[in-house]
Amino acid sequence: MFGLVVLIVFILLGTVGPLLVGDPYYMDLSLMGRPPSLGHILGTTGFGEDVFAQLCNAVGNSLLVGLVAGGLGTLIAVFVGAVGPYRGGLADRVSNLVTNLALVLPLIPLFIIIAAAVRGLNLVLIGVILAVTSWPWAARSIRSQVLTLKEREFVNLARMSGEGNVRIVLTEILPNMLAYIMMVFVILTGTAILAESALSMIGVSTTRTITLGYMLYWAQHETIVPFWWNIWWWFIPPGIVLTVVLTAFFVIHAGLDEVFNPKLRRI
Amino acid sequence: MKQNSDSQVNGENSRPPTVIRPSFSHLLSRMKRLLLSSYAKFVARKAAFYLVVIFFSVTLVFVVIESMPGDPVAVMIASGNPPPGADLDALADIMREYFGLDKPIQERFVIYLMNFFSGNLGQSYHFYPVFASTIILYYLPYTLSLAIPVLFVSFVVGNWIGARAAYLKGRLNETSYFALVFCNQLPPFWLGLVIIFLYVVLFRSIPPIGAATQGVIPSLSVSYFYDLLAHWILPFLTLLVVYVGAWATGMRSMVTHEKDSGYVRYGEQLGFKKGKLMSYTQRNAILPQFTGLNMVFSGIIGQTLVIEIVFGWPGLGLLLYNAVYNYDYPLIFGCFLVIIIIIVVGNFLIDILYGFIDPRIRTGHG
Repeated sequence: MFGLVVLIVFILLGTVGPLLVGDPYYMDLSLMGRPPSLGHILGTTGFGEDVFAQLCNAVGNSLLVGLVAGGLGTLIAVFVGAVGPYRGGLADRVSNLVTNLALVLPLIPLFIIIAAAVRGLNLVLIGVILAVTSWPWAARSIRSQVLTLKEREFVNLARMSGEGNVRIVLTEILPNMLAYIMMVFVILTGTAILAESALSMIGVSTTRTITLGYMLYWAQHETIVPFWWNIWWWFIPPGIVLTVVLTAFFVIHAGLDEVFNPKLRRI
Repeated sequence: MKQNSDSQVNGENSRPPTVIRPSFSHLLSRMKRLLLSSYAKFVARKAAFYLVVIFFSVTLVFVVIESMPGDPVAVMIASGNPPPGADLDALADIMREYFGLDKPIQERFVIYLMNFFSGNLGQSYHFYPVFASTIILYYLPYTLSLAIPVLFVSFVVGNWIGARAAYLKGRLNETSYFALVFCNQLPPFWLGLVIIFLYVVLFRSIPPIGAATQGVIPSLSVSYFYDLLAHWILPFLTLLVVYVGAWATGMRSMVTHEKDSGYVRYGEQLGFKKGKLMSYTQRNAILPQFTGLNMVFSGIIGQTLVIEIVFGWPGLGLLLYNAVYNYDYPLIFGCFLVIIIIIVVGNFLIDILYGFIDPRIRTGHG
């Protein structure tokens, strides 16, 4: 519940907020690096931009990346996880091998290389790349879920009444693990937001759209004051927002976990 | 142990050794051999899998290089400031021949593989005559010195805290749970910034960024060691907080579950001491934690790379970052391959360790 409330607040902040606050890119050069005041709730950046306005846009964009990556990643994971147990034989072996292979590949260096190779990154593209690189563990756990559900009686009944494999998966198995798929989606979204922030903070992600990591990147790389830590109101808020959002995702996941399956304690 | 008890029995009854003994030891040795062979098979299977992983990732890197936009020769010529009136096409042909780019793709792939497995990662563009492997070998110890202690210390400390947290009562329990989850969800790269900020606020001095203070010459002296330690401790603490949170959250839920199980209740009825029961539950709860080691190890390596960039710690992450900025392709791919090899070797060792601890995994049901 707590998680859901927090998440809704941030979704509102990310969608409605940008309409209320002004242009986040507007630089007021007479107000460079001012501490929080009444006019600017969270102060201004080293370039004279309003931190709160940037924060609202950043939350929205970060959630968007998470949503794209989480949704697409879940789709891939469901497909790879369900195709193995149901096609059997070679398809099962191949999907299993690919999953285990991809599980070992390190996400962050891989992304740094892809970012070096791909020109013209935008938010959706980053979401897609994150989805393509982050599905393996989800596919593996969905596979084990499908394997256990496959042995249940109602699935046997469906098979005996002559339903095809695809139909069984779509109408019998997937609806029964919807809560589990939701959990996978929540976790993938959280990790995607974290990964995107990490990557844009080290400057290999998009450098034009404001995300939480983008704010951290510029907070560290501006040159107005000799040391970046002097403008603390610039880099503290994005991190707190990021932590709270991630905690909200985790709490939602834990709540779903309890509702769905009290015995399944850990992913 | 067995011999000891046998001799006791013999001593008390003063009888010759029973007939059953040789057959029992025979059985034991047979079991041992079976176990060893299954263990060897398990290790061989894992080794084969990880070899496939390495081959796959090397191939992946080749594919990425090949599909990258732009002609490397054109880039090199454009950046090389050729003399006026030079025959650029002829120059390009010579360079193609020199770098072996005129050969067909499959032949280049074989050459690339052979180079890789003989440890030749090519020459760096940015530090031109130096080989990429030389540079990477210089940076590698820094990454390992950060990642490996974090893995072990966070595993021990996190599990210890998690096991204690499960026994807290009422409000304290919930608070501790939220605190642990919060620690776990803290983004390490931001925590690094906050820790630097706190250092500045508390000590009012320039925080130790990099691997050594300016002017300190690396040597085998005590002062250099202290200087290195002072630079190492901040990134270490950053990663430690996050991963202690991760282990403790998992351990807490495992112990909470385990302490409701039948054998603990039975032990309580029998009047066992609480400490004894706690040690039993912990021993049962820690086994699933070992399965998490694999994924956490990959995660720690990834986060270490980012943390290195935040703290300027000269590890592979900083090297990779700088290489990307300099478009230094041999170095980029060298770094990536070395990181994959670290992860593969780490996973392999953890798998072997796990097979050693939990014999069920070796039979192939795991």
